[in-house]
Amino acid sequence: MSNRVEAFLGLSAELTAFSRFDLLGTGLAERYLGTLDTVVGGEITDMLLAAFVALPPPEDGTRAQALRATILGSELLGDVARALIKLWYSGTWFELPYAWTQRFGPKSADATFVVSPDAYIEGLLWKAIGAHPAGAKAPGYGSWAYPPKIPTFPGSPTSKPDAVSVHPQNAGIMS
Amino acid sequence: MHTHSSIRTLDELQEILHGAMQLEHATIPPYLTALYSIIPGVNQDAAQVLRVIVVEEMLHLTIAANVLNAVGGTPDLTRPDFVASYPAYLPDGETDFEVGIQAFGREALTTFLKIERPATRPERLKAGNPLLHRKIPPHKTMLGSHPSNKELHFYSIGEFYAAIVDGIRELEGRAQREGQTIFTGDRSRQVTSEYYYSGGGELFPVVDLKSAIDALELIIEQGEGDGGGIYDDDEHELAHYYRFDELVKGRYYLKGDKPGHPTGPQLQVDWDGAYPIKPNLKVAEISDGSELREATIAFNHRYGEFLKLLTLAYNGQPSLLLEAVPIMFEFRNMMLELIRNPLPGHPGLNGSPTYEIGRDAAGPCVACQAGAVA
Repeated sequence: MSNRVEAFLGLSAELTAFSRFDLLGTGLAERYLGTLDTVVGGEITDMLLAAFVALPPPEDGTRAQALRATILGSELLGDVARALIKLWYSGTWFELPYAWTQRFGPKSADATFVVSPDAYIEGLLWKAIGAHPAGAKAPGYGSWAYPPKIPTFPGSPTSKPDAVSVHPQNAGIMS
Repeated sequence: MHTHSSIRTLDELQEILHGAMQLEHATIPPYLTALYSIIPGVNQDAAQVLRVIVVEEMLHLTIAANVLNAVGGTPDLTRPDFVASYPAYLPDGETDFEVGIQAFGREALTTFLKIERPATRPERLKAGNPLLHRKIPPHKTMLGSHPSNKELHFYSIGEFYAAIVDGIRELEGRAQREGQTIFTGDRSRQVTSEYYYSGGGELFPVVDLKSAIDALELIIEQGEGDGGGIYDDDEHELAHYYRFDELVKGRYYLKGDKPGHPTGPQLQVDWDGAYPIKPNLKVAEISDGSELREATIAFNHRYGEFLKLLTLAYNGQPSLLLEAVPIMFEFRNMMLELIRNPLPGHPGLNGSPTYEIGRDAAGPCVACQAGAVA
């Protein structure tokens, strides 16, 4: 994996709160990096990645604040980073805000679009809410009888009960 | 060196039916992995073929459990050796062939065709149906063994099933002559269609000689076809061998086609349209502490729990099969994630489910310690 993809994955993991494994598990990491390159261009994408690489190390308490200040709070990079979060969660690139285009100039590919059919299916939002995308990844007859499986994120207060283990007939078996 | 292959006792019959369950299950991990290795958007014909076949293999597993229950056996999918260690070996005449976990592709298809078309014994070797001595080492899984001597195996899967059918006829005939029957199993342990929907065929209760033979013939015909024809007995369904052959030939079969000569519409196969998973990956090859390793172990653990649930379902609680369905869909999602993640330290190769059920407590990654990981 190239350094560029590595940096993109690191940035994406930090922005979405999903792990690199989850992100790679969508099969879409390189496609989304390519989407950034196509829509905002390689130059701005590289600036975003460079800003991420320049953050203080994870063990440094100021990292989260620096991420807000230098990426999310940046006039140029902030809207791009927010569009990237929405892309990972929904599989859709959302057109950048009017203010951004006014300030930095319109980009010809910057329109709202679904990246690909599997991008819709692999949107992180479904995993985040313990549901499946309508029309895909069917969870099987009767699965609606079980509570949704919500992943635990770093900083979650407690882990959620496992979806299947709470079923009384399966107690002890399906933990 | 050969010994007679017939099944002579009820214990042997029950044990060989366990072997049939193990054999039917052993095809599921390779087929499922190949199916989920297919990159979204390509190979939809191939994905459909694999899906249909793997669902029928699940049916065959359940049919074998029904037959075992009918003759008073106790299906147990939690036995330590129930899940094959991959690559496993299937008998194919004088040579065994490997059945491994690998991505969809030409090599996988070659193996799948061999699984579904058992070897036919040459005329000169037919006398007495002798068994063959096991050639592979003891720690490997040899499918199609003789129930009383694991050092011996059948000549082919065809002869393995023929021995089961003959054994049932022989033992039931003997019992009947004494006014008894081998079909003493509790009827409520039979898994029937109300617990098993869209499952690739009919699930009927096995209660006597006729239903037992019908059940076993369904397994054989869905695999290799009926008496050399490309369709099963009812002419509804193309046998597995010919479904795979369609992919190799790039063309669908139509009714009336001769084996090897499909004349239907063309279909597209992208032989490179699969994630490059490392064949027969083991947990011990995945770097310690990596998310991939954790997820691989989690999958194996879940699969083990699933087999426990199936065991209960096959032991008098068939309604548990309905609860097993969502877990199978959960497997799909877990497997897709494993298969799409790069394998640390192996550039160009991806992860894979390892199906080391009860075996994945393996130690640290040996290859990784040797410096394979940057």
